[in-house]
Amino acid sequence: MSLDDALAAWAATVRLPDAAADGIYQRIVMTPAPGGKQYGGLGRTWWRDFSADFAARMITSTRRVPWAA
Amino acid sequence: MDREAEFRELYEAHRDAVHAYFVGRTGDRWLAADLMQEVFMRVWQRLPAVAGRSADGQRAWIFTVARNLAVDTYRRERTRAGAEAALGHERADAPPPASAPVIAAERVAVVGEAIRQLPEEQRVAVTMAAAGGLTSAQIAAALDVPAGTVRYRLSLARRTLSAALAAYDQPAGTAEER
Repeated sequence: MSLDDALAAWAATVRLPDAAADGIYQRIVMTPAPGGKQYGGLGRTWWRDFSADFAARMITSTRRVPWAA
Repeated sequence: MDREAEFRELYEAHRDAVHAYFVGRTGDRWLAADLMQEVFMRVWQRLPAVAGRSADGQRAWIFTVARNLAVDTYRRERTRAGAEAALGHERADAPPPASAPVIAAERVAVVGEAIRQLPEEQRVAVTMAAAGGLTSAQIAAALDVPAGTVRYRLSLARRTLSAALAAYDQPAGTAEER
């Protein structure tokens, strides 16, 4: 057995088994991606954005308008 | 190509190399797997920034993250290592296959032990080449060092490993008879 053969055999003992690599892959892709809008659903900040926008419109709507004064 | 397919392509292209890098740094394939997971988690989170690059650019980006992570981990592990040494904790790699001929298995063990005792820079280079399947130029790009430096480290490592195998092959007692 040459050095290269021994190295190749050693490499096989330290390499990550495919099943373990697939498990890692699955765990990663199950994690929500930043800016979940890529999935076509609601983004993670939609409620905060909606509430802020709604509150801003409410405040604006209660201000006295100059021409009606 | 959708996001997951893009990530899958990156993961398949670089996972062995990243894992081999961490095996070289830590000597433990399962700790290396945890670190590899962390690197690819960051790739997943920053995919648009990585996927648009060339293959070399992707490798450089990924290994910059890997190197930084290794440094952070090393700092944390330094304190734990003392405690583990005191407890006699020994990290064990998977043994050679039981079906392999004993002599071949022993030679593999000799090489494994010799690799474990190499200076870290040589150990990382030889692990990335043997287990990660990278060329010296690719290792150089990943580690951000000149290709000549990597070739020199590989050459020194191979010399040490050859000497370890030669010592194993030498019949017992021969050395004393000289």
